[in-house]
Amino acid sequence: MSVADQSGDARSESFTSGLSVSDFAAVLAMGLEPVGLVQGFCAMQSSSYAVGSLQRNLSPYREARGYVENYQCPHGMVAGEHRMWGQNYEQYWVEETWNQGFASASARMLDEATRLGAVGVMGVVDTQSTLAGAGVTEFHFRGTAVRLAGTDSAPSTPWTTYLSGQRLLKAFEAGFAPVSIVTAVASVRVWAYCITEYLLGGGGISAWSQDASTVEIDQVVRAQSQARALVRASARAQLHGDVLQGVDLIATQHEYEHGDIEIQCLLRGNRARRVGDFVPLRAPDATVRLS
Amino acid sequence: MSAPFDPTASDARELVRTALASGAAERATGAATTSDLSIDEELNLHAIGWESVELVTGYSMFSTPVGLWSWGQGEIVAAAQAHANAFRMAAARISDEAAAAGAHGVVGVHVERAVHPSYTEVSLIGTAVRPIGAGRVPATRVFASDLSARDFARLAASGWEPLGLAVGASFVYAPRRTMGAVLQQQSQNVELANYTEAIYSARELAMERMQRAAIDLKGTGVVEVKIVEGPMAFASHAVGFAMWGTVVRLAGSSHQNVEPTMVVSLDDAALAFDAATLE
Repeated sequence: MSVADQSGDARSESFTSGLSVSDFAAVLAMGLEPVGLVQGFCAMQSSSYAVGSLQRNLSPYREARGYVENYQCPHGMVAGEHRMWGQNYEQYWVEETWNQGFASASARMLDEATRLGAVGVMGVVDTQSTLAGAGVTEFHFRGTAVRLAGTDSAPSTPWTTYLSGQRLLKAFEAGFAPVSIVTAVASVRVWAYCITEYLLGGGGISAWSQDASTVEIDQVVRAQSQARALVRASARAQLHGDVLQGVDLIATQHEYEHGDIEIQCLLRGNRARRVGDFVPLRAPDATVRLS
Repeated sequence: MSAPFDPTASDARELVRTALASGAAERATGAATTSDLSIDEELNLHAIGWESVELVTGYSMFSTPVGLWSWGQGEIVAAAQAHANAFRMAAARISDEAAAAGAHGVVGVHVERAVHPSYTEVSLIGTAVRPIGAGRVPATRVFASDLSARDFARLAASGWEPLGLAVGASFVYAPRRTMGAVLQQQSQNVELANYTEAIYSARELAMERMQRAAIDLKGTGVVEVKIVEGPMAFASHAVGFAMWGTVVRLAGSSHQNVEPTMVVSLDDAALAFDAATLE
């Protein structure tokens, strides 16, 4: 039995919804009606490369795929522990794991919505949590499937949006139709070379100089900037000329050991299509509430 | 063929049906844009004739020398320099990205900053915006503002304009007391003047720097100032004071008064369930 086959007959006799009462009222006013709280799950195990087990010095220059930058020590051989090389690289296998998790969980949610004859799924919430120890991530999507009141026609692929209720209605009024939620991930690893290691530890730019000036840590700045650029490029590639609204971009950083840093950027937003010419609203009235 | 989309339709049901039908039938024809503004903010922005263009970011990290925070007197100059430099570079990068996208400014900038013992990092994320259909301007004329799109619209309606972010920060040693002073004060309720004076000193320097930055941008003031102050978690005898806000100036000849309408909400449902009413 597939994941989506596990629904019973009770769904045809009642509806479920994750909408608040206010959003429920707004949905009805829009001529839509909820048909079911739909969900999709996917548990993904990352390869051992993705959980920090890959030791430094195993491979000085990784396979050139995606973003890669190499850094060479300017000092020459100093000591065995001296970090003579450094590298920033895109962890495409991490991105693939997340993208597959997103896609599978989202597709399963959409499959449930399609079976219910929905035209769309609104109020989507997505979460990711760690399962069963390191390397296993659970992707969970849920939202409220809706259909047009009084009709049975439904598209082959329902639209999805993080918006619901009044905010979704405002988007319609502004001339936008929802297309889909967009998720994207970028993962960049930093293996510091000697200069970056010294600077992260409070050393001067010229090693052992006791230089008291402050210096930009170029290798980390490049990695952070590239991670942000990669995640936005990945999201933009999903737009096909549509607009992306309400973006939430979260950048996190984890340092496995000194100078061994993993940067992850997670982006989510609403892809919407302009369906009418822009009609500016009149300037809103300013109000002060007396209470 | 579906009916044409009419955004002024009074019937929400008809509006939604035609929008969905048009969305399914048509392909996107415009340029893709990205934005972290809410739909409310997008509407506020459009109401004053501006549009979002691109989600933009700026990041910087500057090192601070080892052993900086432990012993000394007066200001910890290198820490203040690292903070200022990291902000300056991050702001320059977000403005460069916005200019490359054809924007005139960045609104709703989320400022994340972290001061570590050996480095300071600043991350800025915001939405690049421009007057609808406007051409490009050089990066030096692109403003970055942490005002929300709603506040940006209000500011514009009042006849003011944002010019950029102004930042000021200072880190100051709180001098260690002598052993005699420690023993003498141990059993007393007494102000630790060394800490009080250190935080005042840091505050004065930070405010001076932020206002100097505002003047350098040719602004007349700073709005929405945020303050982060207090002892440094990793250094018991150092205090920090950082503040930032949006530099503004009059865009026209005079301020336009906003005359809000007074409203009284009649739906105070909480009272019906407030246990205090049973007392």
